[in-house]
Amino acid sequence: MNNQISVAGIYSPPFRIVIKYFITAIISFIVFNLMLLVDYKSISGHHFQPKILSINHILTLGFITMIIFGAMFQLVPVVLEVKLFSNILAEIQFWIYSIGVILLAYKFYFFSSSLSFEFPAILLSIAMTIFTINIVLSMIRVKKWNITGTYLASALFWLLITALAGYLLSKNLDTPFIKINHLQYLKLHAITAFVGWVSMVVMGVSFKLIPMFTLSHGYKLNLAKWTFYLVNIGLLGINWIMHYPETGIYNLIFGFLVFIGLVLYLIQIFIIFKKRVRKKLDIGLKFSAFAFIVMGISALLNFSFLFYDYEAIKNLTLIYGFLVLIGYISFLIIGQMYKIVPFLVWYHKYSSKVGIEKTPMLKDMFDEKLAEIQFYMMIIGLIILIPSLFLDLQSFALIAFLLFSISSIVFGFNMLKILRS
Amino acid sequence: MIKREITKNDVFEALKSVIDPEIGINIVDLGLVYNVSISDEEIIIDMTLTTPGCPMHGSIIDWVKRILELSYPEKKIIINLVWDPIWTPEKMSEEARKQLRI
Repeated sequence: MNNQISVAGIYSPPFRIVIKYFITAIISFIVFNLMLLVDYKSISGHHFQPKILSINHILTLGFITMIIFGAMFQLVPVVLEVKLFSNILAEIQFWIYSIGVILLAYKFYFFSSSLSFEFPAILLSIAMTIFTINIVLSMIRVKKWNITGTYLASALFWLLITALAGYLLSKNLDTPFIKINHLQYLKLHAITAFVGWVSMVVMGVSFKLIPMFTLSHGYKLNLAKWTFYLVNIGLLGINWIMHYPETGIYNLIFGFLVFIGLVLYLIQIFIIFKKRVRKKLDIGLKFSAFAFIVMGISALLNFSFLFYDYEAIKNLTLIYGFLVLIGYISFLIIGQMYKIVPFLVWYHKYSSKVGIEKTPMLKDMFDEKLAEIQFYMMIIGLIILIPSLFLDLQSFALIAFLLFSISSIVFGFNMLKILRS
Repeated sequence: MIKREITKNDVFEALKSVIDPEIGINIVDLGLVYNVSISDEEIIIDMTLTTPGCPMHGSIIDWVKRILELSYPEKKIIINLVWDPIWTPEKMSEEARKQLRI
């Protein structure tokens, strides 16, 4: 048999490693939503509050980054046709990282507890460094490089910068030493995480997965290269200028570069969607398409922040946070999980039985109707939440969080159904 | 027992049971099977996949091989995965097009 034909089989890491990251991420997502519900009264005012920081990190580290780790262990080998450097490192990283996430969330929640901020930050930084080493050592053996690889490589750089900024912030919370404003440094940490780490992964992977899932053909990826340069140059600039108390015109210039880069990306994605053969969007792609729309809205909102004092408008940063974290990133992850998790389980359980036993279709491995309900509940939740935060109506926000919580449990149920099918 | 000659049509029919689990359409209607050649000893299949680097690669190829081995145990089955010409949606059958545009 030809060597290249069993790409997934030859290169994929063991199922148990990837699925461990995925299951932990799903649990984190449910915990995040339940905590929003329980602590709904704290979700108002300035974003720098213990409970908000705790809940936020359960989502960003426990769900988003956890799922990216698992997905990259699976996708890097398949997309770049190379074996993962070390399965053992992936295993060790999981435990160090998970403990780090739990301790950091605990420390933020119980802000005055005797645990230092630095300790969980060290664990997380170690885990992220292990991850980076593991992926870089896999990447250097790649024979056929592609644009997805370029995006993923830059994402790793930004992951380390995010971790470093996070570590410095944690030290600064224990004993203040950063000369510029803590909140300005926090902004740097967040922008680097959202745009550098998460969005670079999202964009790079989407150039491979979206055409595959939509059967899109006959498009060019010209804009993808522009996006890469604009976003990365903009981010390097932001990372430089944020180290000064006065960011002045430079912040505007670099912010503009990132914004244009993101707009070009969305145009690129629109072209891919337009050229698709599968006209009807399944639930995974509905989630994804919605996420791309919200990505555009949040990029626009973020760009507008360059021109006025957005922190003076009550809850506007929280609105922005929910748009980015739920409307864009979580929607996209959930959508892609409805495509990837059935594949992983199918591949693990049925690939050896093809031709002998009847094997299921991927979409039959979960309840699509329930997934649709989850989709609309999350959208309605978001539509209720934004004006509630804007007008500071906590009882309405509670309804939104209730919808989010139920939808996250529905999601957990569907994922469990896939795992058990 | 009279042994009937295996025709290309028979092989294509057998391959119709290989269904892409993601798309839900069989590989023949998707236009992934480029050529079938049958000799006394072997059946050679030239086929492609919709996307290079598709994670389903291994399973679909194994599936094709197994179906043919089970249907024609006396033949050696050889599968060539080719990327030239690259698959395009035009290669799909009318039936597949109908299904995708619903």
